[in-house]
Amino acid sequence: MAGSTILEAKNIYKSFSGVPVLQDVHFEVKAGEVHALMGENGAGKSTLIKIITGVYSKDEGQIEWEGKPVEIRNYQDCQKLGVACIYQELSVIPPLTVAQNVFLGREPRIGPFINYAKMNKMTQELIDRYQFPLKPTTVVDNLGIGQRQLIEILKGLSQNSKLLIMDEPTASLSGKEAEMLFKIIQKLREQGVSIIYISHRLEEVYMLSDRLTILRDGKNAAVLEKEEIIPAKVIETMIGKVVDESAGSRKMLHSDDSAPVALDVKGLTDATDRFRNISFQVHKGEILGFGGLIGAGRTEVVRAIYGIDKAAAGEVTLDGKKLSPSPKASIRAGIGFVPEDRRNQGFIPLLSTTKNVALTNYDIVKKNGLAISDGDELDMSKRAIQAIDIRPSDPDKQVGVMSGGNQQKVVLGKWLMRDLKLLIVDEPTAGIDVGAKDEIYSILEKLASEGVAVIVVTSDLQELLRVSHRILVMRKGDIVREFKNEEVTQSKVLAAGQGVTEEEAK
Amino acid sequence: MKKMNQTTMRRLISVGMLAVLVILFTILAGAGKGNFLHFDNLIEIVRDASIPAIIGVGVTFIIITAGIDLSTGSAMALVGMVMANIYEYTLWPFKVMVLCGILVGILCGLINGIIVAKLHVPEFIGTLATMSVYRALTYIIAIKDANGVIQSEPMTHSQYVWLGYGIGKFYYLIMVMLVVVVIGQIILRYTRYGTNLYSVGASKKAATLSGINVERVQMVAYIFTGFTVAIGAIFTTARLQSATTAIGTNFEFNPIAAAVVGGVALSGGSGDVIGTLIGALFMATLENGVRKLDMNTSYQYIIKGIIIIAVVIFDAVYKSRIDKAAKEQGAKEGLE
Amino acid sequence: MKNINWGKYSKPIILVVFIILLSILRPKAFLSLNNFSNVLWSVSVIGIMVSGTIFVFLIGGIDLSIATLCAFSAVVVVEVTHYLGDTPKAVAIGVAAALAVGLLAGLLHGIIITTFHIPAFLVTFATQSIFLGLAMVFTNNKIVSCTVPAFTAIGSRKILGFPMPVYFMIVIAVISWFVLRKTVFGRYVYAVGGNETAAAISGINTRRSAIMCYMISGLTTALGGIVLASMTQQASSSTGAGYTNDVITAGVIGGVSLLGGEGTVTGAIFGAVLMGLLNNGLNLLSVPSTHAGLVKGLVIIVAVAFDAMQHADQSRKKVKKVKKAQA
Repeated sequence: MAGSTILEAKNIYKSFSGVPVLQDVHFEVKAGEVHALMGENGAGKSTLIKIITGVYSKDEGQIEWEGKPVEIRNYQDCQKLGVACIYQELSVIPPLTVAQNVFLGREPRIGPFINYAKMNKMTQELIDRYQFPLKPTTVVDNLGIGQRQLIEILKGLSQNSKLLIMDEPTASLSGKEAEMLFKIIQKLREQGVSIIYISHRLEEVYMLSDRLTILRDGKNAAVLEKEEIIPAKVIETMIGKVVDESAGSRKMLHSDDSAPVALDVKGLTDATDRFRNISFQVHKGEILGFGGLIGAGRTEVVRAIYGIDKAAAGEVTLDGKKLSPSPKASIRAGIGFVPEDRRNQGFIPLLSTTKNVALTNYDIVKKNGLAISDGDELDMSKRAIQAIDIRPSDPDKQVGVMSGGNQQKVVLGKWLMRDLKLLIVDEPTAGIDVGAKDEIYSILEKLASEGVAVIVVTSDLQELLRVSHRILVMRKGDIVREFKNEEVTQSKVLAAGQGVTEEEAK
Repeated sequence: MKKMNQTTMRRLISVGMLAVLVILFTILAGAGKGNFLHFDNLIEIVRDASIPAIIGVGVTFIIITAGIDLSTGSAMALVGMVMANIYEYTLWPFKVMVLCGILVGILCGLINGIIVAKLHVPEFIGTLATMSVYRALTYIIAIKDANGVIQSEPMTHSQYVWLGYGIGKFYYLIMVMLVVVVIGQIILRYTRYGTNLYSVGASKKAATLSGINVERVQMVAYIFTGFTVAIGAIFTTARLQSATTAIGTNFEFNPIAAAVVGGVALSGGSGDVIGTLIGALFMATLENGVRKLDMNTSYQYIIKGIIIIAVVIFDAVYKSRIDKAAKEQGAKEGLE
Repeated sequence: MKNINWGKYSKPIILVVFIILLSILRPKAFLSLNNFSNVLWSVSVIGIMVSGTIFVFLIGGIDLSIATLCAFSAVVVVEVTHYLGDTPKAVAIGVAAALAVGLLAGLLHGIIITTFHIPAFLVTFATQSIFLGLAMVFTNNKIVSCTVPAFTAIGSRKILGFPMPVYFMIVIAVISWFVLRKTVFGRYVYAVGGNETAAAISGINTRRSAIMCYMISGLTTALGGIVLASMTQQASSSTGAGYTNDVITAGVIGGVSLLGGEGTVTGAIFGAVLMGLLNNGLNLLSVPSTHAGLVKGLVIIVAVAFDAMQHADQSRKKVKKVKKAQA
């Protein structure tokens, strides 16, 4: 099936302000193949794709399309060649019909008027050719996310695209919608369309792809042919054997079961089925790590525990007392929460460090009658600044203009001013420089040593291994594996998150 | 399984509202001569609905892009006053006067467009500001006597007076309204620009990704509205045979109300001009019926406000249910 | 690199320039004590209203019903006073009734806006029509007057040479300043306006805070209506016409961002003073009040466009920074 090379990227180099992100990367897609692209977070997948689609410019290297060198300066250039990118954030317009969306901005016309008959016919032809479960005249409003994604694909195909790039296409799809997509992908391949399939999910890659390129730390780690795509091998290549055996990626877990239970979660179940029947405990002074792929339901579980989203069933108790599901009740009970999306959920950008730190703590800030004691509030913020070295150290500085690391310290800092029993942190170091990362780890460790229970949700395996005393791995809404008092490696965690059995992984 | 199209559903609701109102007033205010359901009165209702409907076509375009225009009433007064000045101080022919009026209307729309699309001022604030600017300009250029007292200057151009009439009961205004509505509907449904309006309203980001020039689409919508405002102003002054500074006071409410009742969602991306026409007819029927019932006409302000809130709440609740249903449906259906 | 914060000094500079300009152009009329008290009078109503409406601006909302709610509450106080026999006690009950109307209006706004997630401008745009209709119905579309001394004293009695409304304004502004600057609720208002999601995650009941803000706004608008009715000894459906724009303009001039999260009562009061001076100055310069809308409209556009530009600039800079940090 697979024929000649359609796209080839050779010796690609890219660095951001001196930090190399891609080094001598080689990537080749053949006509009519599904070519998967995998790698851990930060391996350089998205940078490579952005170079191919013209979002970033490469520092060095060459891109060839059907054997001829090409320059791709922007997304339009790449569309002209016949490459279409199916955005994760869908760009379909709900009030329009399927056909209107497919031909948006390129509608066939008679004079100034859109020729609907022709447009619908052209759309129907495309639909028939690839057997999509769609009708040209359906208004998109009535369609689910899966079908909307198919419209994006149709849009690409209508421009005679020969190469489709799909970035985590199943991330927000239900099981059935994903199955539908897989069938479509098979049909596209039969029709000679090439697909770059980026995914964290090994089972999908295993099922769909003809070849697999794995990146690690911005370099080519391997290109595997279909028969070589064996879970154990893929995981090993992604993590790197050398890395997995090094000190940082191998850890003996020790958790102290004799310590009293702080948090007890029983049968927690989501209203929209993003997780079900979740039960676990966290002991005082324990750091419990949550591993698994993005979208496995970890963030949703901790949000439900803290009370942002209400669970459909289940019970959460802290120190034996039942928690009512609201952030306010959780805070009063002694829970702190650092959300995943710092910029949009973590802090108030226009306000100062002082006011951000004090925001959750007005129950303990001194007051004279109704008036907040400014002195006490400032005192609290100074304590926070000193305790975790927030820079700039000016308590009146607007948090919005600080660096990511310091913003995160402000978000974290406000919880340190309270008597915490449990701290939940979700992706605590995303987008933060190395120095600040270490500082945040030591804050978490210090809290645990003081007897606070800590839950860390992270997709960074290195981080997970480094901070956790015990690890739970989630997959598709269930807890699938617990690592406890045993030796754990990045590969083992990754395998569990991927649903690969230990035997296969060995 | 066959589901009813959302647009059709919403259309049925607004038609239903209008029908209920007509039946209600027929029962309460009778059907004979001088009563509610008499041909002359029905024509009167359509005539009253015409100016909100004409300007409503432009406002519908703006609302579909998720914008709003609060300045239409003031812009109407300004257009009227410019024409009155030309009538008073020049010997320019009638056609030139009307042309100048249209140009002023377009200019008002252009200014709104620049403020909203280029300066990125939130629509309701920007047009609230131009509402007071255009009104002030109207006062500034108003025709005054030697003592500076504003005069209401009669405009008795023969062709102008002619515009206020029609062929028998079929006023020219109604004909023009129908033409504008039909043209508006054709633009919305059958041209690329119409599709672009919906795209911009549904998601500016998605529209940009699809290569649509969002700023230009917004600008054109405001300019087109300025044009419809000018038409409204010409017919208003023709009917009054004069231009006053008070023309269009509180008018901005009417086209927006018509659009909302007719199913044009203020969140953008849905509705059409036919809906707005139905909404304008609904509002005019309401006013007419209240008058026929000898109720204090002030009640209409209360009723209108309540209806708008009710419709908007209905749309908000309805939309969230539809979205949820679509999501669940999609999750269940899969391939088959 | 020395960075002068012009934003910080721009307000006093504008004020001084304006006063100098007027003193030069109309020295006798402008600098008289009598005129000073006139300015204060016209400032006070805007000041009273903006001290409450600022709460709505701070959470990123808006109130387009200011003018007609003002009219409706003016009508309520006059009509109730009449109905109860024009006694001082009747005045007290009338005032209470008008304030209750304001609170209820705010409650209604807050509940509809937060329950159905409908934009504030739309809800208040519709209620504006309702309040106008109510004011018309209650007065039978006529001007109703009230010359009960206990009532007219509210707006026209002078203490130490200053009219009562000035004291009202000062008291309301101080309360508003205290609430925003010193209480927990005030902190929550800025947090909700600055980032609603983050505020909710921090345990703030964002919905209740928003409803409170609309109620405060309704209350001060009603008080403005009462004072205005008392000052003019009458009420009608057009009492307070134009105040929606004046109050919004005062806020905007005073540095209150209509996008939420930014602004102070001192700034808003400054805006009210400038609006009073502007109205007074244009009057002294023989510019009719109907023309003032031109200046006010332009002020809003320029201020908000500038605001929007700065926001866009900041987020652009931020994106650059984040990109760098990620690399």
